[in-house]
Amino acid sequence: MARLHTEQKAKESTYFHQDFHIALNYGIEYVRQRFGPESVKEYLAQFAAAYYTPLKKALKDTGLTAIKAHYEKIYHTEHAQFQMQLLPAELHILLHASPAVAHIKAGGHKVSPLYHETVSTVNREICRDTPYDCELTKYNPENGGYQLRYYKRSL
Amino acid sequence: MISCTEFIPAYSELFKFLEEKQDKSAVVDFWKYLSDLFLTNLKNEVMEHGLRGCWNYWSKTLKEEAADFTMDLDEEKGEFSITMHHCPSKGRLLELTHMEAYRDYCEHCDLLYRRVLEPLGFQYDLDRSRTDRARCRLTVRPEPGSNRNETYRNKA
Repeated sequence: MARLHTEQKAKESTYFHQDFHIALNYGIEYVRQRFGPESVKEYLAQFAAAYYTPLKKALKDTGLTAIKAHYEKIYHTEHAQFQMQLLPAELHILLHASPAVAHIKAGGHKVSPLYHETVSTVNREICRDTPYDCELTKYNPENGGYQLRYYKRSL
Repeated sequence: MISCTEFIPAYSELFKFLEEKQDKSAVVDFWKYLSDLFLTNLKNEVMEHGLRGCWNYWSKTLKEEAADFTMDLDEEKGEFSITMHHCPSKGRLLELTHMEAYRDYCEHCDLLYRRVLEPLGFQYDLDRSRTDRARCRLTVRPEPGSNRNETYRNKA
């Protein structure tokens, strides 16, 4: 019969709880099953519009370097393998495999067939009302790897 | 890619979306769905180790979430508790100045864990009176009169 006690300060740990990928996957699946595929896009667009407001502003103010800096930070946090190429009016992003998909699968959970919308819908929404657009040019549903192209809209 | 470090705003926004799409019942149904499919690790820990399973489960998750908390387990008394001094999830939402947290955000913690623990023979109490400051207190005890060493095995 043990008595255990512990105290932890936030600064003693690094904020990195990968199980949240599983919870997001179930969130997408719940919306898909209950309200249909279009509602998944609607939800992710609503989230992106609300959460990425500062990133959208940075994209308008400083251009594609803002997106590059954002994803460099995200991928480093997630220990992802990636490549980026910044051209004068384009940004090419290659994510070899998604750490999120790897974690969901490692836990024995089924990845939502609409999980790719966390890339395509979210990034399109980030571009909305900016001079830029983006397209998901490749997506590997097995490992969640993708190629994403940001580009300046034609006038 | 949405990072796991960006999940909490996505989670909060999902609650808002579901409520707008239907009503609060869609949010509550989602919490039940998530509890059943996602918290199997908590269920397995508690089925295997009883109250100690709560200690094992939250030791890992709260460290990964970089929470600011005090956690106690008294197996003789039959009590497990977490005093959350600063919840990393609610704290993050309160810090975001450009978006607002879902009104009943902290309610998910009440439903998700209660739904796992009560069928296993435990009382679950969550004091949410200070969640506006990202603080709460969670207590888990065996049901009165139950054998706390056998409760979870019998109910499994």
